[in-house]
Amino acid sequence: MDAKNALKTWEMSNSVETISTADEIYRYDKKQQQDILTAKPWEKDPHYFKYIKISALALLKMVMHARSGGNLEVMGLLLGKVDGNTMIVMDSFALPVEGTETRVNAQAQAYEYMAAYTESAKLVKRLENAIGWYHSHPGYGCWLSGIDVSTQMLNQQFQEPFVAIVIDPVRTISAGKVNIGAFRTYPKGYKPPDEGPSEYQSIPLNKIEDFGVHCKHYYTLDISYFKSSMDRKLLESLWNKYWVNTLSSSSLLTNADYTTGQIFDLSDKLEQSEAQLGRGGFMLGMETHEKKSEDKLAKATTDGCKTTMEAIHGLMSQVIKDRLFNQIHLPAP
Amino acid sequence: MATNMEVEYGNPGVMASAGTSGSVSISLHPLVIMNVSEHWTRVRAQEGKPQQVLGALIGKQKGRNIEVMNSFELLFDIIDSDIVVNMDYYNTKEEQFKQVFSTMDFLGWYTTGDEPTESDIKVHKQICRINESPILLKLNPFARHADLPVAVYESVIDLVNGEATMLFVELQYTLATEEAERIGVDHVARVSTSEAGEGSTVAEHLIAQHSAIKMLHSRVQLILEYVKAVQAGEVPKNHDILREAYSLCYRLPVLNTDKFKEDFFDQCNDVCLMAYLGTITKGCNTINQFVNKFNVLYDRQGMGRRIRGLFF
Repeated sequence: MDAKNALKTWEMSNSVETISTADEIYRYDKKQQQDILTAKPWEKDPHYFKYIKISALALLKMVMHARSGGNLEVMGLLLGKVDGNTMIVMDSFALPVEGTETRVNAQAQAYEYMAAYTESAKLVKRLENAIGWYHSHPGYGCWLSGIDVSTQMLNQQFQEPFVAIVIDPVRTISAGKVNIGAFRTYPKGYKPPDEGPSEYQSIPLNKIEDFGVHCKHYYTLDISYFKSSMDRKLLESLWNKYWVNTLSSSSLLTNADYTTGQIFDLSDKLEQSEAQLGRGGFMLGMETHEKKSEDKLAKATTDGCKTTMEAIHGLMSQVIKDRLFNQIHLPAP
Repeated sequence: MATNMEVEYGNPGVMASAGTSGSVSISLHPLVIMNVSEHWTRVRAQEGKPQQVLGALIGKQKGRNIEVMNSFELLFDIIDSDIVVNMDYYNTKEEQFKQVFSTMDFLGWYTTGDEPTESDIKVHKQICRINESPILLKLNPFARHADLPVAVYESVIDLVNGEATMLFVELQYTLATEEAERIGVDHVARVSTSEAGEGSTVAEHLIAQHSAIKMLHSRVQLILEYVKAVQAGEVPKNHDILREAYSLCYRLPVLNTDKFKEDFFDQCNDVCLMAYLGTITKGCNTINQFVNKFNVLYDRQGMGRRIRGLFF
């Protein structure tokens, strides 16, 4: 401990200028990137990129942008670079497109904006290139829809290296954790080796078909985050002011709409599984049917449990606040 | 001669006299702070040594309330050791951000450094050409104290030695509270401490609440210590602080009306109902699985008996 303190005091008194290794990642080495781009190691292996590192700033920007869209999907681009089989996202910026399903048309206006933005960014020493795109799925989870898969396949043909990030601002707030996923598609016709069951996520009934049809065409990347030493300092001091918001926020209130939607969805799923169960009992080949109806009911159960837990968490905070601030018994004068 | 010296040394000539209060209230989003920090880190990593960075602040202004929501970098040239903002670059960027953030306006500019200096005044005058009363945000990357090293200023025109000069007035700011942002900031702040997330979401949730309550507790302790010290005569009485502490105590309990109790219990009941729903669904599922397994076991035997019965 003493040596550490001594080092710190020495560093401070001499205003040591060395950049810590944590901040090295912020330096853009043009030559290194050019070499990687000419070598193109990802062409031989469709599963080349396994990890993705997102900077604290990029994450915050994406979350804020997704949240500002409300219930409409929003879209933007990611800037960054590549390092071995890790993709690194340094920054993100929003694109001026409307959240409609026909996003393929909106690409033209987006391209213009993109070109203008990256040019002006280079002038202020933001030298990274576009490394991917992100969009939001407000309320229905992080996965790639049919259109997303075709867009991403196109991107991976012409703009390699490219990654697709999906963020769900509504589930972020309801679960209290950032709901985000990073994906890369397999090229057409490629049969991926059977990977183990991925983490289950609850998908609303009206989207579940879209999810199921395409879920084998892409794989998820492992996400980790990084921040600079300056960020770390700021975040620590930010906490000194921000703790008030942690206590005062009430997820039950902010998420009332979403919770109601989830309960509706759950009731639909239960109805469906009930129909399945009724039919399954009379067939001789009972085993396969059992599995299906079991699956439906089991999935509906997981969804129900998730919604319940989130509601209970919200109530826990409310009860804590009530105990802290309401149950003070002033002594009778 | 004396006046020249003052202006050169910066500080006395640049800040308005203490006691001048600001005219607007500022609400700052943490995203802006992260933006500035990243800009500074990036330039330092590219150039090898720290440099002063400059940028623009955008957000919404409603009357006397300014909400600073986002920011972007600005290009500047150094001409004769003076910072000159590149207005063409600003105009291009303004077009761009109007496309994406149509509801936001240009509010002011930011830079890195400690106390405001003469050169800041000069840049501020240039910015005044875009927006008549911009605000300045200063981030100090070398601050030693644990407080947030961010300060916000606005400008006033005051009479100093007979001539109208521009001076800075420090403004108080609050941190904007957006739920998703808070979760993002929380997540990123804690990501280095716990690499392998615990399996229990309840524990995570409670840990977050616990940290906040710890802070509250430490603050309350501080006030308590102060009051005890005043009582013991060690510290001089400060009536302002004592008055505020008293009014704080007087506000507890925060809400104790019947209507509140009713609503609170309603909310509790709703959540309990949802818990009931979840539990019953889970129970149904377990029973269903059990029945299916039971059927498989006994029907197999039944099937065998029936087939044997058919043949014999």
